[in-house]
Amino acid sequence: MSGPLRFLRDNGLTLAFGTAFLLTLTGQAFAGCAELNTVLRSSGLHPVGCGEYVLTSDFLVDVTENWQSEFLQFFLFAFGTVWLVQRGSPESKEVDSIGRESDERQKTGAYATPESPRAASAGGLRQSLYSNSLGIVMCLIFLLSWLAQSVTGVVTYNEGQLRALQDPVGWSTYVLSAEFWNRTLQNWQSELLAVASMAILSVYLRQRGSPESKPVGAAHTATGVEG
Amino acid sequence: MRPITACLLMSVLCLGLAGCGSVEERASAARSAALGFGAALRASDEVRACEALAPATREELEQDGPCPTALAALRLDTVAGEPLATDVYGEQARVVFARDSVFLASFPEGWKVTAAGCVPRPGRPARCEVKGD
Repeated sequence: MSGPLRFLRDNGLTLAFGTAFLLTLTGQAFAGCAELNTVLRSSGLHPVGCGEYVLTSDFLVDVTENWQSEFLQFFLFAFGTVWLVQRGSPESKEVDSIGRESDERQKTGAYATPESPRAASAGGLRQSLYSNSLGIVMCLIFLLSWLAQSVTGVVTYNEGQLRALQDPVGWSTYVLSAEFWNRTLQNWQSELLAVASMAILSVYLRQRGSPESKPVGAAHTATGVEG
Repeated sequence: MRPITACLLMSVLCLGLAGCGSVEERASAARSAALGFGAALRASDEVRACEALAPATREELEQDGPCPTALAALRLDTVAGEPLATDVYGEQARVVFARDSVFLASFPEGWKVTAAGCVPRPGRPARCEVKGD
């Protein structure tokens, strides 16, 4: 197999989903642009070009409100599955492994192998940070996206307020408003439903060949087994 | 600091500063448009005042005849004194004066007045002497 083909095969999951992400983001931009222009035209206002639209708060609030909830989901999943288990689910570890687990099992400190990342064999803060790096990065992206949602959200909200000849509000008022929490919670509930569904449905249902599923013939009671 | 981190931070900083600069420039342009509308009214130059209106606002006025005539008949006493505050959010702006406010929207040719002589009403749209439908 040639180098480029091997690269595509070895990174297919990231490349396929990354490309699909960019295509759907582009689709969202065109759909959002058309929707906003319908509103603007009905108010006798000048429509925006779609190139211009992707820099508007209207587009950015829609993007960031979804991003924050996705990264919250993965952050909660990464941290929650340290302490919470689901008997029979491939998304869960075994029920007697609750907690941060031993150095031996985690291959840290003295148990690090030659192939382990250097931070795994290092001690102290460096190892501690690396041991939580996935959750920390997910949490940081969640917080930054949520902050971005609040900043772009207040601009969009106030633009609507001014269009409706009403008073704009400050950021601190906006983050306590029904609009902000409605945008936030409608995304959170769907992410939490997806995690709960995946945890319980994967106990009884199978997807042959997927690491997100148990092997087809695995017992319903088998936990932490990936196909 | 790694070069890529420094580049990212500089890009965010530049975008932030460009955004702030842009908002101040746009607020200044919105203020000028509101003051120009007021100056035209005070000079009884209704033709120029009508040119400062957004199309939908102008159309609304033209229900009662030509825009300059309809505007003159209203005897608007708005845009008095210096602006107290200017709010710009996206393509919309509001310039607040001591007695009332002017609402504006951005068009390719600049800011245009969508409503004038507006007095706020809590929880409801402002009551305006001139506005679009």
